[in-house]
Amino acid sequence: PQQQAKKESTRGQKNLGLFFGHLYSQPRQHSMVGASKDVHPAVLALGLQYSSYVICGSTARMVAMLLAFKAVIESYQTPVGTSLARHLTNHHLSPQIDYLRSCRPLSISMGNAIRWLKDLIIKIDPSTPEAEAKRDLVEEIDMFIRERVTAAQKLIRDQAATKILPGDVILTYASSSIVEQTLLQAHKAGVPFTVIVVDSKPLFEGKTLARKLANQGITVRYYLITGASHAVKDASKVFLGAHAMMSNGRLYSRVGTALVSMLARSHSLPVLVLCESVKFTEKVALDSIVGNEVAPASEILSEAERASLLPLEPHLPATHPSKNKAEDKHAADDA
Amino acid sequence: MAQGITQLAPGLISFLKSLKTTPADPSVEHLISLLKRRQIRNSRPCAIATTALMLRVVGEFKGRDAAKLVERIRQVGRRLTAAQPREVVVGNIVRRVLGLVREVLDDNTGDSHTGSDAGHNTPTHHDSMTRPTLSSSISTFSPLRHAAAEPMDASMTSEMSDSSEFNRRPPLLTSHTSYAPTTSAPLVNSLFGLFSQPDDSNASTPTGAASPDGKSAHSLNLERLADLSRSTNIDLKSEVMDGIRELQDELEQSDEQIAGVALEHIHSNEIILTHTASTTVQKFLLSAAKKRKFTVVHAETYPHDNTATHGILLTGRKRETRLDEDEDPWKPLTAAGIPVYVIPDSHVFAIMSRVNKVILATHTVLANGGLVAAAGAHMIAKAAKEHRTPVVVLSGVYKLSPVYPFDIDELIEYGDAGRVVPYEDGEFVDKVDVEHPLYDYVPADLVDLYITNLGGHAPSYLYRIVADHYHTEDITL
Repeated sequence: PQQQAKKESTRGQKNLGLFFGHLYSQPRQHSMVGASKDVHPAVLALGLQYSSYVICGSTARMVAMLLAFKAVIESYQTPVGTSLARHLTNHHLSPQIDYLRSCRPLSISMGNAIRWLKDLIIKIDPSTPEAEAKRDLVEEIDMFIRERVTAAQKLIRDQAATKILPGDVILTYASSSIVEQTLLQAHKAGVPFTVIVVDSKPLFEGKTLARKLANQGITVRYYLITGASHAVKDASKVFLGAHAMMSNGRLYSRVGTALVSMLARSHSLPVLVLCESVKFTEKVALDSIVGNEVAPASEILSEAERASLLPLEPHLPATHPSKNKAEDKHAADDA
Repeated sequence: MAQGITQLAPGLISFLKSLKTTPADPSVEHLISLLKRRQIRNSRPCAIATTALMLRVVGEFKGRDAAKLVERIRQVGRRLTAAQPREVVVGNIVRRVLGLVREVLDDNTGDSHTGSDAGHNTPTHHDSMTRPTLSSSISTFSPLRHAAAEPMDASMTSEMSDSSEFNRRPPLLTSHTSYAPTTSAPLVNSLFGLFSQPDDSNASTPTGAASPDGKSAHSLNLERLADLSRSTNIDLKSEVMDGIRELQDELEQSDEQIAGVALEHIHSNEIILTHTASTTVQKFLLSAAKKRKFTVVHAETYPHDNTATHGILLTGRKRETRLDEDEDPWKPLTAAGIPVYVIPDSHVFAIMSRVNKVILATHTVLANGGLVAAAGAHMIAKAAKEHRTPVVVLSGVYKLSPVYPFDIDELIEYGDAGRVVPYEDGEFVDKVDVEHPLYDYVPADLVDLYITNLGGHAPSYLYRIVADHYHTEDITL
């Protein structure tokens, strides 16, 4: 399988050069094969959940990572002759992070959390007993999650829910946990409003959101991105989730967000982005091509679509073995 | 073999086959049911089917006067458009055929009576430019002035008093027309006509007191029409049928003609974005690929057109229009050495900054320069505008319709929601309102250039092409 993967990646290098060739650095890991023996089982499991999109969304991924790191830290034992502060980050945490990165590129929020954690570990006084240091670390991680995620989200949804007025039609793209919480909070507060969910392939995250909202009794309409220009006509406000906020004020979010906000702007709709401060980055971006995340092209073609292509095979000219190249990226930049 | 034919899936091919043996009326029913069941869909198949049917209808028409033929075509046209109002092309073709009849009549009027007037020998209809010359040579009350402006109606109102359709048209100035004409507006076909219009309404206002001059004109007119119907009936049908065959040729050739100018619009190493499955765009790109190297990025228009898009990329043809299997094997763009990248529709904005040109296929082009195209076209055009990328629309003239988008929603067709969320997901479908628009309306200001089989046009010029192809009196069928 490794050989095959290598072959695939060299071919990928060759023919995916149009837009995102520079982003295909390493083939994506879909198994535990080849993982370093130091990688903790919790992290191994997490990596697979990342690559199969079971855990998806930058906040969820960051929280899951920190929880896995708690397990890593708890089972960590400083080897003789080194100190925890020196050894843990470089020799024990790094392979875990590398493995996670090979499963799916790190999100901005994950990068921020990792930087914070490393900083924390380095600052531990070498004289602190190991057990105490580990306990402190685990506590700090819990605190981080509570402060930067739980409390932040509560604050955001309290604020954002007040923006939803009776009779509003809220349009949202794909799925964002914080948008979902906001909508549910406003619904619980008794504000009558309806929701339009715009979604796109291949993950159809919006479907999950639409289902959850509908189960709570909110009227939901569901469009795919091709119908977005019809969807915005009826909307009165747009709520978007974020992957990251760039320091030049641009939103970095899942691909298609820019289209939705462009259409919203042309209809003069207010576009609200709900974003925790842990997602802020000092990076800047002008377009979505220089820096982005790419996924294997095979993910775009659903099994049903692949099957429907099979009858076409006899029509293929014999010379070209592969011509249906596809490009996938999971984030788009919003001007 | 015979079984193989009967087992053909109902569609354009089966319709064309059955048309050879079935008389007109059952064929009309057949096409109506095919249109209603959406077994014939998209502009080109609809246009081909309608033209073939029109040929049949005109061919089987038995009768001696043009008014009845016009009425018959209109009646068929009304039923066809009612069957599937959103396939605007059907109405376009019917209007073109009506225009043909009117043109033939126009020609003959000119031939038989103003043979000296060269302006009437040309097939241009409603050539108001020639009117002043005409009226100057004949008395101001002459019905020929009407004949020049509305020769069809003139001949018909007098011949066809039983056809209620025509009674509301500007009648001849005769002593028996005692009502005021309600529609003098259709007379104004072009800017030039504007100035002669008041003159017309004056002339057609029934004064009650018919001058001796008017009476003589009336008798002259009757004589002329009798003469006309005798002389035209013989070749009216065949001329109209010839015209319809020309229309068929136009349908066949429009793609090639559009493709012919491809090299003027595509330069080397360009990155071109297009979407949905379109034969016109495919041929355009293929013709450019013979000489130039460029890259194509293709948005797949999920969910309603993605299989067709994949099909056209892999085999070079849409799957539903597999007309003649063996002859003219189409090649996909990749076989011509053009790298093709398929992207989901959501990626359009991200990639637009690298795209040099956007080429859109269309479903219908409207008279104001806007267009109705596959869903997603609006956001692609909008994203292109945002990036100042030129948007080129390829469309045969047959897709150009005299309709103005007063009610845009009326033009948008909604498709099977099961394609968006499969019905297996009963709980979801129950609770959530799933919508699946098939078309987008793209306003004219998002389009930079139209390329039709007549050449390139600015969107603001399209109204003029509409005026050249459709008669104002046919706009409401």
